[in-house]
Amino acid sequence: MSDTSKTLLPEGLRDLLPPEAAVEAEVIHTLTQSFGANGYALVKPPLAEFEDTLLAGVGQVLRDRIFRMPDPVSHRSLGFRADVTTQVARIATTRLASQPRPLRLMYAGQVLRVRGDQLEPERQFTQAGIELIGAETGAADAEVILATTEALEAVGVKNLTVDLALPTLVPAILKGHGVDANDRLRTALAHKDVAELKAAGGAAGELLCALVAASGEFATARERIGKLNLPADAKAEWDALSAVGDAVRAAAPNLGLTVDAVESRGFEYHTGITFSIFAKGIQREIGRGGRYRLQHSEDRFEHATGATLVVDNLLSAVPAAKELKRLWVPSDTPRATVRKWQADGWTLVAGLKAGETAANEARRLDCTHYLERGEAVQVRN
Amino acid sequence: MSASPEPLVFAVPKGRILDEALPIIEAAGIVPEPDFGDEGSRKLKFATNLPHVSLIRVRAFDVATFVAFGAAHIGIAGNDVLMEFDYADIYAPLDLGIGKCRLSIAQETKAGDTLDLDRLSHVRIATKYPHITSKWFAERGIQAECVKLNGAMELAPSLGLSPRIVDLVSTGSTLRANGLKEVQTLVEISSRLIVNRTALKVRSAEIGGWIEKFRSAVGASQNAA
Repeated sequence: MSDTSKTLLPEGLRDLLPPEAAVEAEVIHTLTQSFGANGYALVKPPLAEFEDTLLAGVGQVLRDRIFRMPDPVSHRSLGFRADVTTQVARIATTRLASQPRPLRLMYAGQVLRVRGDQLEPERQFTQAGIELIGAETGAADAEVILATTEALEAVGVKNLTVDLALPTLVPAILKGHGVDANDRLRTALAHKDVAELKAAGGAAGELLCALVAASGEFATARERIGKLNLPADAKAEWDALSAVGDAVRAAAPNLGLTVDAVESRGFEYHTGITFSIFAKGIQREIGRGGRYRLQHSEDRFEHATGATLVVDNLLSAVPAAKELKRLWVPSDTPRATVRKWQADGWTLVAGLKAGETAANEARRLDCTHYLERGEAVQVRN
Repeated sequence: MSASPEPLVFAVPKGRILDEALPIIEAAGIVPEPDFGDEGSRKLKFATNLPHVSLIRVRAFDVATFVAFGAAHIGIAGNDVLMEFDYADIYAPLDLGIGKCRLSIAQETKAGDTLDLDRLSHVRIATKYPHITSKWFAERGIQAECVKLNGAMELAPSLGLSPRIVDLVSTGSTLRANGLKEVQTLVEISSRLIVNRTALKVRSAEIGGWIEKFRSAVGASQNAA
């Protein structure tokens, strides 16, 4: 086996080395602490489960995205999760079905998907998120948005923009105008291609174009869309979104807030307001979420709102950790001394052989200081 | 808004479309440095009358790639390019009404005037647009084997590379000159103003302002015509 055959990883998978791996761990810690302070309790579903439970309910949208393998033990098909939300949904409707509502759960973990795309080639990434289950109010939607943006701020991600959307709005409009959604219309909507929308939108074409044009900064969009002549169902949905936007705006006046009235991509299982989170300086979307329905049984469901952050996408915006105080100590240093320095906030790197030259070893192993006669001496380069 | 200190990169396609696009770009308030109109210039990035706005001149397909990755914030691209890539992160909020043509199937004149697909399970097509082509044929229950070419598609039938081609057609004179006949239009093409999704969200007022400026510029040029 040649050396390169040992280094090559499969497409979309990679090693995270120091210091990036530590930054990621720190980010997850801060996010879960911040979510926890808002009453969200950590759950940890497994990496793989039976394919049919993984794909049940809201999980159906993952059908084309999951890795599968036959389980040699049960002879059933296993699926690796491509999203943790659907697992939390399963937990909420089974083991925690009798817990009092609203139920606040959070998670952080790795997910796999069968393929990436040119813009996001990764096939494994880290998700961290929250689910607020059993509440139907706009206040729940606003809480999830705010808890998520506050967690991002705690991590040090700045200049956030939350883009609100309503995937149920366009279907309500199409229904109101008796227009069938076809592939061409869906593509036109996805690309906000106004020329195509006008051509493919039929009776709803003009209104859909007006919605695209009116999308943008929240206050302006609110005013413009408020003036449009929406079908009754669509109007009610829009008013609900406006109320959530107002609540978020009031609570976080400095947060960027926009509206994309025709967005629906990636929100396949959502039944109400949704949102995407962006930050200045990060090209990719860093998080998304929204309102969906949890199915308990054929005729029983409950409302939930969730948010998922793609931890990999926000690492580049996390401020560099402050310089570590890294102290090299000789091999004969008593453990009590080691612990004393550690208690003072130092990272200790112990020598393993007697007679090593402290200054050289410290420099070679990337330490900032070495221990000499009970003092920390700075390493000179 | 346009006084934003943050750089704004505008990607425009080289060649044919550029001549039609330039008056609209200028009417929207972006005046490029003189070198920009000079096709012989080796420069790739050009300054404008606005200190924070620069223009890049790249191949039509690359405009979409630069904008999709956010390396450029705004651009001009035909819907042929947008359909071929189907990038999720590009929005096309405005039809500029320029660069009009169509994406069509052509075959040798001696092969007849019509595209007869009834008995076919498989076709071989030379094209710059394998994605659009195979999708179009797949919708008709036919598997298209696309031979990807970057130019001179018209040579393919006479040299036996493929009996048919899918290419942009405006007047049809290149096809005629090569003994080919247009037998089926796949889609009408025009150039769109495209924007990067993230840029539109995080710089919403600024990018929204540019879309409005281009909208007025297009309206004015269409009224004048």
